[in-house]
Amino acid sequence: MAYKVSDIKKGLKIELDGQPYTVTYFQFVKPGKGQAFTRTKVKNLITGAVLERTFKIVESIAEADVETKTMQYLYGDDEFFHFMDTETYEQIAIPLENLEDESKWLLEEMEIEVLFYKGQPVSVDLPNFIEVQITYCEPGAKGNTAQGATKTATLSTGAEIQVPLFIENESWIKVDVREGKYVERLKR
Amino acid sequence: MIDAHGLRRRAHMLAAIRRWFAANDYLEVPTPCVVPSPALEEHLFALPAAGRWLRTSPEFALKRVLAAGLERIYELGPCWRDREHGPWHGTEFSMLEWYRVGASLDDLMDEVEDLVATTSRVADRPPPTWERRTIRELFREHAGLDPATASARELSGGIDESWEDAFARRWVMDVEPKLQGALFVTEWPASQAALARCGVDADGWPIAHRFEAFIDGIELANAFWELTDPVELRRRFHAANATRAVLGEAPHPIDEALIEAVAQMSDTSGIALGVDRLVAAMSGWSSIAPGRVPDPSTE
Repeated sequence: MAYKVSDIKKGLKIELDGQPYTVTYFQFVKPGKGQAFTRTKVKNLITGAVLERTFKIVESIAEADVETKTMQYLYGDDEFFHFMDTETYEQIAIPLENLEDESKWLLEEMEIEVLFYKGQPVSVDLPNFIEVQITYCEPGAKGNTAQGATKTATLSTGAEIQVPLFIENESWIKVDVREGKYVERLKR
Repeated sequence: MIDAHGLRRRAHMLAAIRRWFAANDYLEVPTPCVVPSPALEEHLFALPAAGRWLRTSPEFALKRVLAAGLERIYELGPCWRDREHGPWHGTEFSMLEWYRVGASLDDLMDEVEDLVATTSRVADRPPPTWERRTIRELFREHAGLDPATASARELSGGIDESWEDAFARRWVMDVEPKLQGALFVTEWPASQAALARCGVDADGWPIAHRFEAFIDGIELANAFWELTDPVELRRRFHAANATRAVLGEAPHPIDEALIEAVAQMSDTSGIALGVDRLVAAMSGWSSIAPGRVPDPSTE
């Protein structure tokens, strides 16, 4: 099956030069009197390499042979991240290097979309938001009311993000994974 | 979302724009939005409206006004272009077009500089400083290629396509993203003339007498030294329709009233400017959205 360029959206899985890619960015561009294009950034699902590609609006793009399955993240070891199908208890493993960018958002026992390219598990589609606990941050700076002031916090997934000063150690927060940004404090 | 601050800013800028035209002896004229022929261009898609079309620009109708003898005219109003979406595009948008008999393209660049400075004052911003560059200079600087000598394959990076598409692709990939500040780009290839007169540059390369204005890589305006040859205009209508047929698009009707009008026109330059983009660029916005009321069905 082929997509039209106007079908392009973030997260679309396409095949280029025999490799599967996911679209991470796209922009419609139309030079004054010329043909319209869509400028994209695409990420290789196997190597993680990011390419910039510009498609003519009239072109068609091959759909990548990618299937997704909701699985539970179990753990990572020296070579692989392990996931389990919670219905069949079947387990699969994805090499560490495939998830170099994604792994800092993986929470043990989280449900996640695992991507299979030609039947092989190659990557995951992260959720847009995760709820996560802070494992370390400096104590809240009382009295500092400067707007927009932040401090660095380490999350239980290992990621480090900027949070407002009133956030305390062991707080639960909601994070926008796409931007790597703090959204809100959760009551737990 | 309705952005009250954005709408107020837009209204103040549009008022300043209309004052500028009044002060420079331009007459505001209203032309029909529903038209018998929407555009001459290959790559514009008009919206059908009751057997006719919503205009993609007021150009054809304004040229009939010029042919009737009015010498300085402008129109500020809605236009429609299908299949254009994104932070800087909308199917419906506001266009500002003006025409001045006897003006050169350099005269129009001076007017754009003055008009943009007028709108920047509304936002308490310093007016931008403009540069004027030819498209060959920009290609040599940013793409390392001279479009006067480069082949289609060199321009496209090996993709098999027409020279015009390859030129547009290289522009979109390597040149436009690097444009900084306020810039007039002059001496476009003759094959992308639309309704501009053609000639040659200092080296004899065929060019269209037109320019585009950019602010930080966003296209703001397109100007022509207007074509006044009815025979050449008819030829271009047929050529554009032939290209549309290859692209699988329906032909646009030949606008006989326009061909008649062009034969009556004096030496004129004219320009179309995207007002939503001007308001956004002078306000420091990253899209045209704050200055427009959104269509609730697309929110």
